[in-house]
Amino acid sequence: MSSRIWSLVKKEFIHLVNDWWLPLFMLLGGATELLLVGWATSRPITNLPLVVLDQDRSSASRAFIAQVENTGTFRTAEEASDLDEIHDELRRGDVTAAIVIPPDYADKLLDSQAQPEVAVLLNGAESIPATAGLRAIEGVVRAVGDELLLETLSVPEEELSGFVPRLRVWFNESLSEALYTTPAELGLMLEFTVLLFAALAFSRERELGTLEQLLVMPFSSMELIIGKSIPVVIIGFTDFLLMLGMVHFVFGVPVRGSLPLLLVLALIYLLVELCKGLVISVMSRSQHQAFLLVMMVGMADFMFTGYAAPVESMPQLLQAAANLVPAHHWMEILRGILLKASGIEVLWPHIMALVALGLLVGGFSIRYVRRALD
Amino acid sequence: MLKRNNRTTSNHDNQNQPDSGKIAVVSTRGLGKNFGDFSAVRSLTLDIYPGEIFGFLGPNGAGKTTSIRMILGLLRPSTGSASVLGIDVQKNPEAIRPRVGYMAQRFSLYNDLTVLQNLQFYGAAYGLENDRLAERINSALEMAGLRGRERRKTAALAGGWRQRLALGAAILHQPEIVFLDEPTAGVDPVSRREFWDLLYELAAGGVSVFVTTHYMDEAEHCHRLAFIQRGEVIAQGSPGEIKRQAVDGRVLEVVSENAGNVLKVLEQLWEEGESLEMDLYGASVRIVTPDQRDYRKQVRTILKKSGVVFSSVEYVEPTLEDVFIASMR
Repeated sequence: MSSRIWSLVKKEFIHLVNDWWLPLFMLLGGATELLLVGWATSRPITNLPLVVLDQDRSSASRAFIAQVENTGTFRTAEEASDLDEIHDELRRGDVTAAIVIPPDYADKLLDSQAQPEVAVLLNGAESIPATAGLRAIEGVVRAVGDELLLETLSVPEEELSGFVPRLRVWFNESLSEALYTTPAELGLMLEFTVLLFAALAFSRERELGTLEQLLVMPFSSMELIIGKSIPVVIIGFTDFLLMLGMVHFVFGVPVRGSLPLLLVLALIYLLVELCKGLVISVMSRSQHQAFLLVMMVGMADFMFTGYAAPVESMPQLLQAAANLVPAHHWMEILRGILLKASGIEVLWPHIMALVALGLLVGGFSIRYVRRALD
Repeated sequence: MLKRNNRTTSNHDNQNQPDSGKIAVVSTRGLGKNFGDFSAVRSLTLDIYPGEIFGFLGPNGAGKTTSIRMILGLLRPSTGSASVLGIDVQKNPEAIRPRVGYMAQRFSLYNDLTVLQNLQFYGAAYGLENDRLAERINSALEMAGLRGRERRKTAALAGGWRQRLALGAAILHQPEIVFLDEPTAGVDPVSRREFWDLLYELAAGGVSVFVTTHYMDEAEHCHRLAFIQRGEVIAQGSPGEIKRQAVDGRVLEVVSENAGNVLKVLEQLWEEGESLEMDLYGASVRIVTPDQRDYRKQVRTILKKSGVVFSSVEYVEPTLEDVFIASMR
């Protein structure tokens, strides 16, 4: 009996070796993904953008800011001149946190009866970095509180009023992760469904053996591409609408920005992923190979969407690379419109990048697919 | 369906033989294809005329499918040229497609579609619509014998029906020439015969049929043939011509109940010249003699000496199979 089992095991390994890309995917794909994602996410969250409005301009306030910077969580703070500027920057999503130090900060610090206050505004649309930022600031606050304690040992502890930073969390009131992650999933799902459907387009025909027959028919390669793409667009877009409806009505994700703009941009993004999928579909010899390629591409993109870790914390190289990934721009657009009420004036860099990448990918893939079909 | 009685076209060289005045529907000159340093097709030169059934015969891997692909413009040739209906295949393949039908070796209809859906797709792809489409679909169903079954899934059809359906789909747009790559592979003999009846009808209607096969009996039904082996044409012409050209000797048939022994004895004891080409055929042994001399006496002598019982040793008409195997060796 065992030799029978053994011969079956042997046969399975032979199949595995023949379909070399399958074990390749399993061994390398998984490991590489883990490495990259782990690397990207294990790094401490640093380099977050910070803006400060120091209305006190005392050495104490400057010391506070310096200590916040020293935590390493933030990059060098930018100075804002007024509250409006801070609101603008938060609205655009340019900063993770804003600190407002009121004019009486130093005075209250020295006054053992008073409670010094500092306002911290966090960009709740990205709760993971925001939470990290909050922790860092709280840490500073505790340190300053401890220092005070040391300096004024003569005053009994009960009399020393603590240091209460007042928090105002902007956008994402409960700082809940669902609002951060569900848009991300929504965006990713759009990518995956479109990629998958498109990738099956020609690999399916090839696997069935009907591709040859199609090529003998009077279709031009462009007609074949368009004919295959239209159902993908229809289904992908409908899928997106359904998912959007679901996250909105079931999970309470708001649509604070312009819905028509979102839909137009979703369509553009869809077309970009469609082109990628078509390239995969002519590259693949079979449907399941296409499927695996889609998984690999999708997982690579996944990392750049900031789903697991904010892009700002990634090594410089990866951050630069993120700009080349359509999914990254799409995610910014999606989050912007849903959570931050961003409009074209804020999103235009991402829109331009998406369109540019789209033309590039689209142009390449159409030429590649036509060449492959001929 | 019309049953044709003139299956013996192989014996009538003049039947349906085109004169060289007719314009070829397919012409290849020195067509060749190399994959790396492997020559799948060396130098293919042939002409096919209107209304004839042209057979392309050869063992597997001889280059039949590669040749068809080049003629259809699916594959770029390494050397030579091909023209279909007067149009250069390499320069203008799109012009050929609406006028040509193709039935691939591998079943190329969609199994998850119904019969009707497949025909509708094919028809629309070739630009048929409305009345014309309906009419052509009807005649395809009629021809394939699938009337009343058009809503069945294609996957549910048995082998012979699938082939007929595939043929129907291939000629839906009434092409001037159809290319069939091993259309009857794996089909039972009755269905095969019925399929060839359809091909005869097509040819009689003026449609040229280019068919590859390795069934010898089907080859006998073609008007003209080309034998291809290892990428080269080794014989071309009508079945009768080929039989005369390709076989130097003649075919001797020894009928015996103990045909196995006949074979053994002749193998052991034949001394004259080269060894004989011999093959066992159930209750007889067919021998292709090396030349035109009369070998009957010698064979009879040897068999009698060895005490092998036989009922007759006579010359018979060579079949294409004899010719084919002799030329392959």
